[in-house]
Amino acid sequence: MNKNLLLSLFLTVIVSIVIVLGCRKATDDSQIVVVYTSEDQVFSEPVLRDFEKETGIKVKAVFDTEEAKSTGVMNRLIAEKDNPQADVFWANEPVRAEVLKQKGIAAVYRSPSGRGIPDVHKDPEGYWTGFSARARVFVVNKKVENKPASILAYTDPHWNGKGVIANPLFGTTTVEMAALFTLWGDDKAKAFMEDMKKNNVGISTSNGESTDFVASGQYEFSLVDSDDAVSRIRQGKSIEMVYPDQGEDGVGCLIVPNATVLIKGAKHPDNAKRLIDYLLSKATERKLAFADCAQIPLHQGVETPAEVKPIEEIKVMKVNYSEVAKKMQEIQPYLKQWVGF
Amino acid sequence: MAKKPVLISIVVVLAVIGLLPLLVMFLRSVTVEGHFSFAAYEGLLASKNKWILLKHSLTLSFLTTLFCAIIGVPLGILLAKTDMPFRGIFVVIFTIPLLIAPYIMAVSWFNLLGREGLLARFWGERTAAVTSEFLFGLPGCVLVLFSTYMPVVMLLTITFLKTINPRLEEAGKIVSGWPGVLKGITIPLIMPGILLSCLLVFLLTLGEFGVPMFLRYNVFPVETFTQFSAFYDFGAATAGAIPLALITALAILFERIFLRKKTYQVKLASEGNRTIVICLGRFRKWFAISVGILCFFMVILPLLLLVLQSMSFNAYARGVDLAGDSLIRSLSYAAIGASMLIAIGFFCGYLIHNRSLFLWRSMDSLTVFLFALPGTLIGIGLVLLWNRPATNFVYATPIIIIFGYIAQYTALTSRVTVSMLTQIPASMEEAAQIVGAGWLRRIGSIVCPLAKRGLVAGWLIAYIFCLRDMGISMLVYPPGHDTLPVRTFTLMANGPADLIAALCVIMVLATLLPLGILTVVFRSRGLTE
Repeated sequence: MNKNLLLSLFLTVIVSIVIVLGCRKATDDSQIVVVYTSEDQVFSEPVLRDFEKETGIKVKAVFDTEEAKSTGVMNRLIAEKDNPQADVFWANEPVRAEVLKQKGIAAVYRSPSGRGIPDVHKDPEGYWTGFSARARVFVVNKKVENKPASILAYTDPHWNGKGVIANPLFGTTTVEMAALFTLWGDDKAKAFMEDMKKNNVGISTSNGESTDFVASGQYEFSLVDSDDAVSRIRQGKSIEMVYPDQGEDGVGCLIVPNATVLIKGAKHPDNAKRLIDYLLSKATERKLAFADCAQIPLHQGVETPAEVKPIEEIKVMKVNYSEVAKKMQEIQPYLKQWVGF
Repeated sequence: MAKKPVLISIVVVLAVIGLLPLLVMFLRSVTVEGHFSFAAYEGLLASKNKWILLKHSLTLSFLTTLFCAIIGVPLGILLAKTDMPFRGIFVVIFTIPLLIAPYIMAVSWFNLLGREGLLARFWGERTAAVTSEFLFGLPGCVLVLFSTYMPVVMLLTITFLKTINPRLEEAGKIVSGWPGVLKGITIPLIMPGILLSCLLVFLLTLGEFGVPMFLRYNVFPVETFTQFSAFYDFGAATAGAIPLALITALAILFERIFLRKKTYQVKLASEGNRTIVICLGRFRKWFAISVGILCFFMVILPLLLLVLQSMSFNAYARGVDLAGDSLIRSLSYAAIGASMLIAIGFFCGYLIHNRSLFLWRSMDSLTVFLFALPGTLIGIGLVLLWNRPATNFVYATPIIIIFGYIAQYTALTSRVTVSMLTQIPASMEEAAQIVGAGWLRRIGSIVCPLAKRGLVAGWLIAYIFCLRDMGISMLVYPPGHDTLPVRTFTLMANGPADLIAALCVIMVLATLLPLGILTVVFRSRGLTE
């Protein structure tokens, strides 16, 4: 019995090593592409699986968690700058893609599938290309009669204590704040943020939580991503979606497209380019429009469900994503201090 | 002849896998752009937020430990020493939360107390708002972690009660009733065991990451993860972990000074498994009902709701489709991890028990220290150490996950080995040595066969901890190698509730089924009691 036990233990160790080494061999296979994505797994994985089915190329993915605030995989890419593991970064907003460009982690690739996408949603030098966008919208509880129409509602005494916003240190809320800093200048933007504080704006941990707070009536309105709003509306929650600042004097609604980045030093560059072509295609934009994330196609003429407003009908905030990316890194100490981190 | 090289190899393996990542992290935290700097630590002392986090971490750990002790000790006594009916079933049911990833219990409680939970359906939104407020924050974290870790206190109480010499209680019974015997003899005798279990719960809670993150209660392990993942600030992540490391070191010191040297009035071998049973008489039924109610609300109801939430064929079909590969990976990595852990832990435990090398005390402290550290911290250390082209054979493969398991969980198997070896007389190995058996032969022919039950138990414990691990796996998994707990967690971002519930149920089954099968197999071969 003792010999059997020892033998079993040694066999297990040997089998373990074989399995682990086997896994390593699989990683070396040329018919794969490695993608890191900050797009929610529940939305990105079906698209990646379709790509696998259509091309026969195996996709190995690393997904972000809600708690990593959509920056976990970006930081992993930065950590792996000298030892790249990923071929493609599918970012859920372009600013982090721009950060990768600025840190020398992205490579130039102008995909033929991206030709129909307006230039404003692409990096002029070709380091990233945007597709399927979210809009930064208000969710407002249905019981509220006069709905807020501008992000300045956050500083309006009428809405004192009634608004909530996701922690501006993370995710698309950071992008929105950085965009306002580039648009208004530091002084006006800081004054806006201080006024928000004075107006007792609540801070939630995520856009999803903000939406749930508004749906439950704990707060009356919040600035969130359109996918958070649409998914809750489809679930029958008591909220409405309002595109902010659509008037003549309004700054417009911030549009946050997904972005694809080819990673510098990618081990499977050809497969990576095929994946990028696939993600930027009209077919993928259609899929993401009809999925629960309800994203807005950037190609013209892509069919959308009724609740997804075509991009042409939205007054878009005019921002330069490159400037926003630089500003986002610059204002992080201020945002930390603002939140009390 | 082979003894020293083997044991030194184990020391080297643990130093490279467990200690080196921490040293690299520390060095990185005191280096800014190639220069020596304490900037990260200055920030730590100056930050008010860090003190709040420390308060949160300590409060959560203290309250969880307190409730675990208040309920776990009496429950352990009831289940080990009385004639209450259904004791075996209660032990099994109460232990389930300990076997599964803690955040699954959090999801289960969320299905009961959340804004759209069961209570909301029966008692309306207002009640749900109150219960949701309760759940998301300190009270909710305490509730979930109490239901998860209470079995630690309960099981150790049961174990230590079985070691008491029954003659001492019999002597006490001559002059006093059971309350007096329990107060004056039984509980004082098992007090080191109770304190050890409390220390374990305290440290496990202190390093817990998934539950506070899910319930939005900011504690140090969450902060470490955020600093690394969201800000990519290695320095701040490391510096932020220092208070936890100090508390852990203090806890180990406490255990060294106050618990190790305690003498136990253990029973003689001739006493066998004999324990004196407390007859509850007419209260027997009422105790069973009370424990049954506690069991229902603490374990059955939350898990039942999880099952109900997942009750759709589509959810399970989608769950298997989305996470089938992750499940297989989880089971494989846990089995591999447990096998490596039992091999390394055995020799490490042997080294500690026999004090074979002068480093024995350091090895013991190192493994316990690593066990008590947040998994996120160990994960960051592993990334820092192995993320380079020359070491891609580790970093880009599941070996890095296995290394994480070894770094964090060796204490489990080494401690099991130590406790097992204390029951094997040294004379047996010495006798074999006299007749010329070499060390490896003595280990293979004498020690291992005598310790086989402990080895099996150690393997099972290691398997469970590897299977439920999330802190390390989340940070280090290579592309395409995510485990089921990680996949469930990433799918939580906007994933449908029924799918998440189905994945949690699959995770529970994936833990309990192999465990049940292995227990049956081992029992049929006489390897477990």
